[in-house]
Amino acid sequence: MRVTFDSMPNTLVQRLGVLSDRLSRLQIQVATGQRIQVASDDPSAMRRVLDMEGEAKTLTQYQDNIARLQNQATASYSVMSGLQRISNRIGEIVTLADDMKSPQELQIYAGEVSQLIQQAVQIANTKGENGYLFSGTATDTAPFALSLDANGNVTGVTYQGNTNTAPVEIADGNQLSAAPVGANISGSGPFGLVTDTRTGADFFAHMISLQNHLLAGDTAAIRSTDQPALAADEQHLIYQIAANGGLQSRLDAVESIGESRLDALNEMISHDADADLAQTLVRLSQTQTAYEAALKSTATILNTSLLDYLH
Amino acid sequence: MLGLFGTLDLASRSLQTQQQGMSVASHNLANATNPTYSRQRVVIQTSVTIPTPFGVEGTGANVVRIEQIRSALLDSQIQNEAGVTGYWLAQQTAYESAQSALGEQVNRTGDATVVGEVNGLADSISDLFNSFQALTTDPSSLSQRQTVLDTAQQLALRFNQATQRLDNLRTGLNASLTADAAKANELLGDIAALNDQISLAELMSGGGPANDLRDLRQQKIEELSQLVRVDTAEQPNGAVNVSIDGALLVSNNQVLDTLATYDAGGGQLLIQTATGGTPLTPTSGSIAGTIDARDNVLATLSNDLDTLAAQLISEVNAIHQNGFSLTGSTGAAFFTGANAHDIGVNAALVNDPRLLQISDTAGEAGNNTMALQLAQLASQPQAALGNQTFRERYSQIVTGLGQTLASVNGQIADQEIVAGMLEQQRQSVSGVSVDEEMANLVKFQRAFQASARVVTTVDEMLETIINMKR
Repeated sequence: MRVTFDSMPNTLVQRLGVLSDRLSRLQIQVATGQRIQVASDDPSAMRRVLDMEGEAKTLTQYQDNIARLQNQATASYSVMSGLQRISNRIGEIVTLADDMKSPQELQIYAGEVSQLIQQAVQIANTKGENGYLFSGTATDTAPFALSLDANGNVTGVTYQGNTNTAPVEIADGNQLSAAPVGANISGSGPFGLVTDTRTGADFFAHMISLQNHLLAGDTAAIRSTDQPALAADEQHLIYQIAANGGLQSRLDAVESIGESRLDALNEMISHDADADLAQTLVRLSQTQTAYEAALKSTATILNTSLLDYLH
Repeated sequence: MLGLFGTLDLASRSLQTQQQGMSVASHNLANATNPTYSRQRVVIQTSVTIPTPFGVEGTGANVVRIEQIRSALLDSQIQNEAGVTGYWLAQQTAYESAQSALGEQVNRTGDATVVGEVNGLADSISDLFNSFQALTTDPSSLSQRQTVLDTAQQLALRFNQATQRLDNLRTGLNASLTADAAKANELLGDIAALNDQISLAELMSGGGPANDLRDLRQQKIEELSQLVRVDTAEQPNGAVNVSIDGALLVSNNQVLDTLATYDAGGGQLLIQTATGGTPLTPTSGSIAGTIDARDNVLATLSNDLDTLAAQLISEVNAIHQNGFSLTGSTGAAFFTGANAHDIGVNAALVNDPRLLQISDTAGEAGNNTMALQLAQLASQPQAALGNQTFRERYSQIVTGLGQTLASVNGQIADQEIVAGMLEQQRQSVSGVSVDEEMANLVKFQRAFQASARVVTTVDEMLETIINMKR
């Protein structure tokens, strides 16, 4: 092929253009640590990164949801533990209120039961981050309202919440609600914390009954009616505590699975988006060498011409 | 037989011939770096012979013409490839701008929450649905409600900005079409003027080619080919007629018509002949590339964003409107607008986050039913989006454009190789070699010196003859 005056400079310019472009791209990869920045760098990898980033964001949100539910579950557990302590003391009073006790002693027990009922109502009306814990979705309403007579005895405890729960998504298609509703007498839906017709639990009503029987000195009724009813209430509370434990375990398990998946996603995104630094640096060095070689070789050749030999 | 005076004439003509050769070699050297120049050479032919009793005798040599070394085939190929290059470069510019308009970029070194982040609409779509998720955990929280509204506003703004940038790009491409048409008209005028000069110069030189003017005209034709595909036909008088998409625009030294843009409706500028009003459909060149990019990929991109936003507005509003706010109100839309251009967040909600309707029952502050349904939209395939989720659809839009741009980049890389090889071939045929011209210079110089020596020898011989009678 005939080589002209412009041939080599043109070839050099073209090669330098290609090499500069490659150098620039490799330099960006080294500087950012990323193999791809925009979709046109590698469309299929970008698609995978976008999908995985989306999944990672959703998973991160699920982890936040789990954290919120764990807080709620912990708060619920505190309430249940408090109610269980009251239930234990009520059980002791039921045992102590036998035929050997004088009416005065029974009156004193009745006063203590009245106080315990009021304490239980106060505990059950605990507020969490999102309002009242046990009023269902009526979180701005205290779940239990207390009625007292002129002597300070409890005449009734009314449930003011509803039986709706606010489930939160903790994984794709997996929803949970951390706090039970305060009471459920509908026979269906979520279990009530202290009252549920399906288990016969009605902690406040049974404590009020005990209070009234103590006031009346009716120990027979306490043994025959209140003792089994309150025992069932305690069983119900134990069930609720166990359910809370199960819920927390489930949350921990889902959280752990989520963390593992996030780690895996991070690795996969890194595989698609990150540059292999060693490989990139080697290629950068190769390209730089080729750039210098192109410059040197052309400069050497262009320096020689027939003009050097003509006088 | 020539005789001494004849030989003197012969030597004199030879001096002129070598001078002409020197002149052409010098002209070649002077244009060694001129990219449009094709090397020239003198064609030397033996002069008329004279019959003598001893045989036919030569009378030296004459320059018969100065010819240009160029390949019409290569010129034609380069002209065609210029159009292809112009076509792909115009598309590349348009798609790179569109990719920037979407602003979708992987940023692994940024303020990453967990595994890095993708800046752009994809992020905002996820953020909106995640904010609904967060709201399910605390439905009565005003700060969570505010976060939802802020995130939605951010998403709406990104939709608005992306489509606004695409609209601006469309306007820019229309301006580029107008500029290209004006540039093409200027080149058509130049070609007609050069046709005039070439035919006149060649007529005056008795048919010899007007090499330098032809070089210049070829350069103009190639520049024009980058803008729009042209068909050329050389005329007997040396002029070249130029047609675009079948419309004859330059005939000899006349520009019969020029190019003009016209609005085909909705701001869609196309090309037609200015006087005849004939719509033209160029198949290559930057004009064709710009029109194709604007009316196909970019128009689809803009429509896809509008469809995505419209579906988001429709789905979110359908759920939100059935919910109840903290104040008990219902029926309000979450998003306003109809597409990506005008999507916004209901100002009433922005002013009072309590009005966000995420309960399915009035008066239940902790009811998150609608928030949950809104959050679950994130993973629900939408029939209107090809059974993809919102984020999946957007990812497909982004990567679809990326794929198109990557493909165009590949075409340009191939095109650069093809155009480079053709240019190299043309250089090989038509380019000036300094070494070659220097060698020619030496050759002509020596021949000139030899001819001059003939003159002095003949002169000495004549002097000898003149002095014979003394």
